Amino acid sequence: MTTAWTCPFCPLACDHLAVRIGTGDEPLAPEGADCAWARRSLARFASRPAPAAASIDGQPASIDEALVAAVGLLATSRQPLIAGLGTDVAGARALYPLACALGAYCDAAGGDVLMQGLRALQDRGQFTTTLAEVRTRADVLVFVGGLPGALAPLMAERCGLGDPQVPARHVVVLGAAADDAAELAQWSTRPGITVESVPLHGDLFDTLSLLRAHAVGHAGCTGTSTPALAALVDRLKAARYGVLVGTPALLPAPGALVIEAVHQIVGDLNRSTRAAALWVGGGNGAATANQVFTWLSGLPMRTRAGPRGLEHNPWAYGAAQLMADGAVDALLWVSSFDADAAPPAEARALPAVVLGPPSQAPACLRERCVFIPVGTPGIGHDGHIFRTDGTVLMPLHAVRPDGLPSVADVAQRLLAGVQARLSS
Amino acid sequence: MNSLLLRGGRVIDPCHPGSGDTRDVVVRDGVIAAPQPGERHDETVDATGCVVMAGGIDLHTHIGGGKVNLARLLMAEDHRDGANPYPLPSNPLELASCGTCAPGTLATGYRYVEMGYTAAFEPAMVPSNARHAHMEMGDVPVLDHGAYVMLGSDELFLQLLAEGGPNLRNFSLIRDYTAWTIHASKAMGVKVVNPAGISAFKFNQRKLDVDEQHVRWQVTPRQVVHTLARALRELGVPHPLHIHGSNLGVAGNIQSTLETIAALEGLPAHLTHIQFHAYGTEGPKKFSSAALQLAEAVNAHPEISIDVGQIMFGQTVTASGDTMRQYAQSGLANPRKWVGADIEAMAGCGVVPFRYREQSYVNALQWVIGLEIFLSVKNPWQVVLTTDHPNGGPFTSYPHLIRLLMDRSFRDEQLAKLHPDVAANCALKSMTRELTLEEIAVMTRAGPARLLGLKDRGHLGEGAAADIAVYREDADREAMFRTPEHVFKDGIPVARAGRVIATPVGGTHFIEPGYDTAVEKTLRRHWAAHGSVNFDHVAIGKDELCRCCNGGRLLPTECFEGSGS
Repeated sequence: MTTAWTCPFCPLACDHLAVRIGTGDEPLAPEGADCAWARRSLARFASRPAPAAASIDGQPASIDEALVAAVGLLATSRQPLIAGLGTDVAGARALYPLACALGAYCDAAGGDVLMQGLRALQDRGQFTTTLAEVRTRADVLVFVGGLPGALAPLMAERCGLGDPQVPARHVVVLGAAADDAAELAQWSTRPGITVESVPLHGDLFDTLSLLRAHAVGHAGCTGTSTPALAALVDRLKAARYGVLVGTPALLPAPGALVIEAVHQIVGDLNRSTRAAALWVGGGNGAATANQVFTWLSGLPMRTRAGPRGLEHNPWAYGAAQLMADGAVDALLWVSSFDADAAPPAEARALPAVVLGPPSQAPACLRERCVFIPVGTPGIGHDGHIFRTDGTVLMPLHAVRPDGLPSVADVAQRLLAGVQARLSS
Repeated sequence: MNSLLLRGGRVIDPCHPGSGDTRDVVVRDGVIAAPQPGERHDETVDATGCVVMAGGIDLHTHIGGGKVNLARLLMAEDHRDGANPYPLPSNPLELASCGTCAPGTLATGYRYVEMGYTAAFEPAMVPSNARHAHMEMGDVPVLDHGAYVMLGSDELFLQLLAEGGPNLRNFSLIRDYTAWTIHASKAMGVKVVNPAGISAFKFNQRKLDVDEQHVRWQVTPRQVVHTLARALRELGVPHPLHIHGSNLGVAGNIQSTLETIAALEGLPAHLTHIQFHAYGTEGPKKFSSAALQLAEAVNAHPEISIDVGQIMFGQTVTASGDTMRQYAQSGLANPRKWVGADIEAMAGCGVVPFRYREQSYVNALQWVIGLEIFLSVKNPWQVVLTTDHPNGGPFTSYPHLIRLLMDRSFRDEQLAKLHPDVAANCALKSMTRELTLEEIAVMTRAGPARLLGLKDRGHLGEGAAADIAVYREDADREAMFRTPEHVFKDGIPVARAGRVIATPVGGTHFIEPGYDTAVEKTLRRHWAAHGSVNFDHVAIGKDELCRCCNGGRLLPTECFEGSGS
């Protein structure tokens, strides 16, 4: 059993669970507390790591051979794409120079969702909060567009629902999904928690627009007054600290406008009381890679060091779009957390280098594909990953070292190889 | 053994006698050494016609951490040239990195080094964001770095202060908590930002004067400032309390600033970006310069130091921990967008873009006030040259600022371009003082090193680290300080004529004040009840710090014998 383990698998990055290490092939399992996601993710890793092999064109190879093949594949590409980006800070730090050397486009798995928040931020800004603020002070929580559910199983615990320090909290779901009712009912059994489900009026964006009209006092003038939304606004205005929680991956299109609408409501509320937003997402290393690339270069994901310069385009440089358009001719896919996240279907036609946990090996046994097994931060080696609120960088600790190279190790060796090829 | 001779330069080293003399400087194994007769050197640099100084040290510059990265994300327009991308660097040693007011960490390092700076200190590290801040600083190439951790608006500090009662009977606990926070975050000092005010904003207070009570904890900024300053004194922390005072940017805030100085009751402190805290309420707009009042107070209190936070005209973005004041200013955002956050029951941040305009009465006056402060504080050792990058302007404007301070006719030319009411009525127009090279060397290297307790930096005496900038003499001081001929970091040539030629990883400065580990019991209980992270994960160990900082050297600075130990 480990102590002070940080779970790297969902955006909450909880560190109150421990891991039970069995013998041999017995899967790892959470201990001390339970979480469906952690249990499922840990189960993909055996207690004693099995030997892992690299492969080239579907044939077993040593890691050194695979690195040589990967360098050849990437260095001869005219326009590569680095995608997935499921890695920790060290991995992202090492991938950035490689991306520069290759002139590669860069996008994280789930990049479309990540960009929604980014575009809202670039256009209008935001006002956000963090888990400890929510836990210690939030007396009204409004889950916009549904509960995060399976995407953040321990959300209630992390928001402190039932903690005595906030004796009465009211939880609202605005536009609940079908299976939210059961979870909400379960939350309502916690001490001091009252719950409420407010249905949408039109779609989610319409509803938020109406809510905003109530917040700024326009609803009466325009004849759009809606009692349930008026009551919700009154409740938020009377709250000491109202927090609007959203899960970008679950929002309807156009997500960026929904996020912006939430921020505007927060801004309206902050004129007279205190409020903030909390977004649940950026897991599997996506937010981490975004932060690291941003601090190194000044620009976030969907940027490339191209012939015209450092080009950023959150609309046009999405991985799926680039592959569908035939705009890229090679892929470096990085996914060190999610044992099942092999490259997407669009990538089947591209020559690819895949850095992933050994469990991804079978999916990579094909022509023009180099697979290099890497360790998972928080399982096979230490690392760092950003939590969903973006301000806490959590340390990850190895559960049981597996001797596999990290993404950072592989990226550094790829860079050395690519630089040698390009300068020769 | 590796040696270097800098021959025949005019050595400006205000820490030692003979500053201003023309002489040789010898470097052996990265350290300044005494010249030996007949010694042969691996490398000789002709410094004839040049001024030789220690490398520049920026003691207050927002170079890394959560709010800086938010500023980069917010300011996409800072990372493109109109509709076009910025070109890739022509120097193969540089990785692509861009931005002026919110530069990437790589660009930050390159641009500082090209100007002859060799160290920079991030002044507002939120405890819960410390790992992130160290990661970013570790990715600033070449520069040594360190950070001041924010305390005094965190709920635990305010709670302990409230529980201590009028005689502060739990002072030793507060002192140990302060030391533990420095230890846990691997900080170089402590900064207080709008004392108690960031927290007060969370409880919906919109302003907090020095003697006004926080609604939740019933404590005042006066108590916070005094207690923290006393704790650092007793812990022997070399850099005194770094204070971003109450009421930043508010007309008439000179009152708060003077009250803050009084609250210290003679304890040493550093008042940061003081330009933003030196405003009166006179004149047609009820907004006036209080630079002279401020200077008078600083002249009367040798235990106080300041940095100026000079504003520069043009686009920038302000990134601050002062959520209360940034919220209040957010209506002035240009472009109209801003970011704020309440952070972990510890701190906050606000990121507001600004465009300072010469024809704005307020902005013109802010520019004037900064320069008036520089020119009216008598002792240069009490003043550090900063723009509070990027809040007053980007650090790349330092050479221009130096020229404004050293060249009266240039200053008057600039003054004439400003809002006419300001240009006609300010005290600055009759100030004749021109700072000397000696004074600039104090304000940009020797002074900050002394204020931080860095014994082997900021000067060129024997045993000092060979962080050196060699500037070619030029009557145009802006051109001179823009592009030094040579820059050395620990004896390694890192820039030549404005071009980076090596990118070693910089070191991390931090301090290790002693404390009674019994405090950890209290902290563990607090984290379990109110935190969001396992207490065992809060402190950064030295091995982890090494990884955060990209393997750079760890540079612990000694504490002095604290008065309380």
